[in-house]
Amino acid sequence: MMSTRRFLFLWSLLSSGVFADEKVTFNEHIRPILAENCFYCHGKDPNHRKAQRRLDMPEGATAETKGVRAIVPGDLENSELWRRINSDDPDEVMPPAESHKDPLKPEQRALIKRWIEQGAAYQNHWAYEPVARPAEPPVPAGANPHPVDRFIAATLAARGLGFSPEAPREVLLRRLTLDLTGLPPTLEELEAFLADRSPDAYDRAVTRLLASPRYGENFARGWLDAVRYGDTHGLHLDNVRAIWPYRDWVVQAFNENKRFDQFTIDQLAGDLVPGARIDQLVASGYNRLHLSTSEGGAIEAEAEARNTADRIDTTAAVWLGLTAGCAACHDHKFDPLTQREYYSMGAFFKGLADHVWDGNIPRPGPLVLITNALQQKRLDVITAALPERLAALAAKAERLTAKNPVPEKPEKKPITYEVVWAEDGDVPTATNILQPALAGEWRTGAGVPLVDGTRALRLEGKVERPVNFATGEVPLKVGLLTRVFVNYNPDSANPPKAVSLEFIADGKTKRLIWGDPKAFSPEAADSAMVAGALPPAGVYTRLEIEATDCGLASGRAYTGVRIAQSGGAAWWDHIGTVATSASAADDPLISAEAWAKGIRNDVRAVQNLPLPNEIAYLLGVSITQQDDEDKKRLATFYRDFIYGPLRGPLEPEAHAARQLQAEQIHYELTLTASLVARERAVPKPAHILIRGQYDKPGELVEPATPAFLPPLKPRGLRADRLDLARWLVDPRNPLTARVALNRFWQQIFGAGLVRTPGDFGAQGDPPTHAELLDWLASEFVSSGWDVKRLVRLMVTSRTYRQDSRVPPALLEVDPANKLLARGPRLRLDAEVLRDQALAVSGLLQPTIGGPPVRPYQPGNVWEPVAYAGSNTRLYVQDHGAALYRRSLYTFWKRTAPPPSMSTFDAPSRETICVLRTRTDTPLQALALMNDVQQFEAARGFAERILTSAGTEDKRLTRAFRSVTGRMPTGQEQTLLNEALASQRAHFAAHPEAAKKVLANGESKAADTLPPVEFAAWTMVASLLLNLDETVTRN
Amino acid sequence: MNPCHDYLNHLTRRQFFAGAGLAMGGLALNFLAPRLRGAGVTSADLRLHPALPGFPHFAPKAKRIIYLHMNGGPSQLDTFDYKPGLKKFFDVELPESVRAGQRITTMTSGQTRFPIAPSLFKFAQYGQNGTWVSELLPHTAKMVDDLAIVRSVHTNAINHDPACTFLMTGSEIPGKASLGSWLSYGLGSENNNLPAFVVLTPKWSSKAVAQALFTRMWSSGFLPSSHNGVALRSQGDPVLFLENPEGVDRSARRAMLDSLAKLNQLGYERQGDPETLTRIAQYEMAFRMQTSVPDLTDFRNESPATLDLYGPEVNQPGTFAASCLLARRLAERNVRVVQILHRGWDQHGNLPGDHRLQCKDTDQACAGLLTDLKQRGLLEDTLVVWAGEFGRTVYSQGTLTDTDYGRDHHPRCFSVWLAGGGVKGGVVYGETDEFSYNIVRDPVSLFDLNATILHCLGVDHSRLKFKFQGLDQRLSGVEPAEVVKAILA
Repeated sequence: MMSTRRFLFLWSLLSSGVFADEKVTFNEHIRPILAENCFYCHGKDPNHRKAQRRLDMPEGATAETKGVRAIVPGDLENSELWRRINSDDPDEVMPPAESHKDPLKPEQRALIKRWIEQGAAYQNHWAYEPVARPAEPPVPAGANPHPVDRFIAATLAARGLGFSPEAPREVLLRRLTLDLTGLPPTLEELEAFLADRSPDAYDRAVTRLLASPRYGENFARGWLDAVRYGDTHGLHLDNVRAIWPYRDWVVQAFNENKRFDQFTIDQLAGDLVPGARIDQLVASGYNRLHLSTSEGGAIEAEAEARNTADRIDTTAAVWLGLTAGCAACHDHKFDPLTQREYYSMGAFFKGLADHVWDGNIPRPGPLVLITNALQQKRLDVITAALPERLAALAAKAERLTAKNPVPEKPEKKPITYEVVWAEDGDVPTATNILQPALAGEWRTGAGVPLVDGTRALRLEGKVERPVNFATGEVPLKVGLLTRVFVNYNPDSANPPKAVSLEFIADGKTKRLIWGDPKAFSPEAADSAMVAGALPPAGVYTRLEIEATDCGLASGRAYTGVRIAQSGGAAWWDHIGTVATSASAADDPLISAEAWAKGIRNDVRAVQNLPLPNEIAYLLGVSITQQDDEDKKRLATFYRDFIYGPLRGPLEPEAHAARQLQAEQIHYELTLTASLVARERAVPKPAHILIRGQYDKPGELVEPATPAFLPPLKPRGLRADRLDLARWLVDPRNPLTARVALNRFWQQIFGAGLVRTPGDFGAQGDPPTHAELLDWLASEFVSSGWDVKRLVRLMVTSRTYRQDSRVPPALLEVDPANKLLARGPRLRLDAEVLRDQALAVSGLLQPTIGGPPVRPYQPGNVWEPVAYAGSNTRLYVQDHGAALYRRSLYTFWKRTAPPPSMSTFDAPSRETICVLRTRTDTPLQALALMNDVQQFEAARGFAERILTSAGTEDKRLTRAFRSVTGRMPTGQEQTLLNEALASQRAHFAAHPEAAKKVLANGESKAADTLPPVEFAAWTMVASLLLNLDETVTRN
Repeated sequence: MNPCHDYLNHLTRRQFFAGAGLAMGGLALNFLAPRLRGAGVTSADLRLHPALPGFPHFAPKAKRIIYLHMNGGPSQLDTFDYKPGLKKFFDVELPESVRAGQRITTMTSGQTRFPIAPSLFKFAQYGQNGTWVSELLPHTAKMVDDLAIVRSVHTNAINHDPACTFLMTGSEIPGKASLGSWLSYGLGSENNNLPAFVVLTPKWSSKAVAQALFTRMWSSGFLPSSHNGVALRSQGDPVLFLENPEGVDRSARRAMLDSLAKLNQLGYERQGDPETLTRIAQYEMAFRMQTSVPDLTDFRNESPATLDLYGPEVNQPGTFAASCLLARRLAERNVRVVQILHRGWDQHGNLPGDHRLQCKDTDQACAGLLTDLKQRGLLEDTLVVWAGEFGRTVYSQGTLTDTDYGRDHHPRCFSVWLAGGGVKGGVVYGETDEFSYNIVRDPVSLFDLNATILHCLGVDHSRLKFKFQGLDQRLSGVEPAEVVKAILA
């Protein structure tokens, strides 16, 4: 047995990663120790610096202060630092007690000792040095020439280690398929691969899997974690945010193998690329993924500062591996990022045109509508013509209200007013755009008799048709008195025998007939009220019906009037209501506030309000947060389209505008739309925020990138997001390629070459294989940022293909597998666990993309936490195919993420996440055993096995292979036989329980299989889905 | 540190015991024991989900905490911060010298007037020190000799979402670890069958639209997600996915688990990954939770006298009263952190009416919980904390009448009480001005409050840290935080 002393020695070597004959280097060995223990007081930040001593640069460390030098290269005895870290004197020892740092460990001291002895050479921080392409280590004769393996083998050889043998082929194919597509291989794929003994069989499998659309779905997950994609706003009400087209764009980008530089540019600045396509605009939705709120009391400057900080922090972490947030309040303590530079980065985002508030609506603007060419052409016509019509309407409204303005605060007193709804046409609404035209024609010209306006409705023959009212989607309510009027003018030559009016409302109302009631039908004659004789021909007569007479009580809702004639021909014009409401203040047609309140209180309506998106947005913004411009826009809309007393006089102009506007709303509601970036005409000023406080703005700054990185090359006077994006992917930028490829490496190998993927700074881990990282970075860039090529390089390496068995000796030497002397063994990610179960069950629905789905979720996950007025308070589960989509498409509520995901370490998507932890908890065991999604999948799995041919043994083998890829051993086969036998005996004794087992889940179990047998197999299938080997990729 | 311990710590913390603060099963112990013995560890040393090395930092007064969070922001003016002098200022404008340009929310920043609304409620003196408490809290009032009431807590956030996030995680920005997760991480669990950190979200009675909760209030943030709070639910499975699927009874489950353990054991022998042993242990624990959790929520063995302490609603699942009794049962089982988040305290209007309802929900049960803990000797080592995320303004939001007013959010001062392990009873700490607007003596920041809570549990707040995003993250923030020694026993 290893002695403690020897163990200690070995341990210290491993933890410091250096052997006695190796040179101690500043970046690999010393900087992490100094950064952790010394730089806070002896680093870059002058505000915290103690004793005017800097240790982060050689000039400071070797300078003489008060007769001592912290470091004298090569001279341990005279190096004050050495004396201090070894001191027993509490007043002298470093780090000091008040820093709450532990004393340096012996191995750390040993490293510092050797470093000083070797000359105390400083290096710039490795990650900020340009990427140089290291020479590939030589290949020993007969060894694998794969470049990745050369680097890995070189480090292994230095420690007297070598590669593990290659994993068994069936294990390898399962690993590769899971890693590339997030799904297990089918048995057929497995058989084909095992049968293919050609030398390039594995390469062809890689090619096949990289070409699978499943690849993009799988790689999108990691990206969506990093950029914090979610389906809700994330704060306060946490309402729905519909930006899923961005998610689909990410999937497609990976599938198309979009160059990573273009992938970057499209997301940060797709809107600024000359001739931006729709897909680039969708990609620019990256800028809209931050948390947002419309909380009533929130302060705009504070929310705006947070949004900006969120954008800086995420962009810096995702592309640069920088913990930029540390520089929000003061210069970064450890990395060369100043506070000024932090806010200069923020200035790039100050040009964004989106509102600070989300309005609690699904799509706060700016938006892009995802159109085809024809739709776009029509939209362009509308966009060009609508402003003129709106202006004409507003001009008239202003004239009309010059003397009689719309009351700002109507009183809580009864009011009587007249509203004309149909003057020159039917009121078009966004929801009836595609409906067939109603009967009759609104005619104009000589010979058309008019009451008012320029058109009248001509009806000929037996006709019944609605005339609907539109009030911006608040239903009209019957007041103290509500009387609908219609002006009717029958032809002298051919008058109708009867005409009628009828309220359109939920439930039955009585019809009122003029003329011979039997002219409509005997039933009509029986149920209707008769008003009297027909009015004279050739002139207009005003016909009226009263709501209460027709059985519509005060307070009931109605949407219009149905007019009818029994035959003949007539003109109809100037249709409207005279209403007396109990309180002007509460009548949506009189009070803008009442109208807005009515809409806000109707949560369902807010989801898909048939109003212009900008108006729906403004209604969602709390009154206290609307600025003057917002208030004016809302007031104008109300005056021009809703306010009752102006309806008649404004109708010709309103009608003209509404026709186009309704069509535009129709497109906004029915076409897929997504949140995008747009640039404001004038960017908002960017200030340094003193101590990071939004209400303490300091100096103004311009967009700029940190000085320690290569210079930015702006196209114009003021740098913008496109310049920033291009700077990020400039081949001279030392960080982007390293940071990006490190995350891909992490996705494949479970841990990055840099194990702190979000921190490439001084506080992060140095790379385990610095030269390999640089070689790959150089290769990545020079290949044209080819992601699939990079992934192929990784998965075709011998390093990747190693067996993941853990020999005890290796576990002791390298528990975290930093040296990569074996293949990684990882618990599958949350999504993969669910998708795998669906795949083997045959239930998986392969549809790609589209709105998020709501699969099974236990009751009472959203409800106990959500805001009462939130539209994500009640979880309404979907049914049918939506239950079985890939987990990527599961609706992600950020304040209460899906438990089937979060139980397995999926992040909430509230903030950036570039590394998921991997835990193992009893809650996970419960979820895999009992979640109806999992158990139904087990039943589906059992059904597939039971309906396949073969003996019991063959079937068990087939089932085992479906989840592990490999054949069971004899012992395992026996255990499976026993498991089946015991479950069979159990259900034979409990046949009723067997039926219940089969009834789990909404898909129907095959009724051709004997229930006891089927239930026993379901339990075995569930057992197999819970197997350690199944939930792990070996 | 001994590298051998390092190694074991690596295995034990990350792999063997990481289970939501849960212990491992006997079966797994059988697998593990030889291995651990080989490394010089005896079974007596086996802490199940142990504390971090060096934790607690000093002898703790409290072993566990029950945190009663009044979500929405109760009014200090109508509960604990008695301001008799306000009567004469009814409907008088708040002097500008008091507000002194401090920010207010955009809900009232547009108001033309800031009329003072004295509390409608009568206050009386209770306990040995004659502490003033409002008539809204008659039961809590009787317990004042056990309470340390802090009237001078203040926060940085002025709106619910950031304020709740700040209260629970020490930061307004989402993504940080919650108090309970920090305690689970640092102190580990002393219960073999239940999570270390349990969250309850009872129903509430106020008519106002209740503010939302966020799972981030009990999330582990950057800490391993095994330290997430586990929400016990009052409807459906108390713990998610706890119940077997329809038709699967305990014997079928046991048979399945036996087969699973044997197959996994073979897998371990084949693969050599200690993670497999963890998984075996977690499945066993899951199986035990299937009985320990229902046992926990079964009140049938509680005596009528005990039930009476909590008030008539104790037998309705999902009430605050039932949650308090559950909290005591969790405390008995040594669960480290119990958090009850009672919603509905956000009274911008109709404050008198709605606060009556909210206090009726909670008052008797709070006192009942304290009494019950005390009777069982549990209060000595259980810290109980009662806190909202901020206070409310002295001026009325909306119309002020003789019988009605509303109050806006007020971050500059609010009242919090602590009781039990480590806390001195019968203390009132801190003082606000005559308008309960600004603190005039002994301010306590939320960082100070959290530092004090940690102190009671034997944790030095400055040494409870976790490296994330390049920083040593602390619950008590970056700037110095002070333990409020004056309220400690």
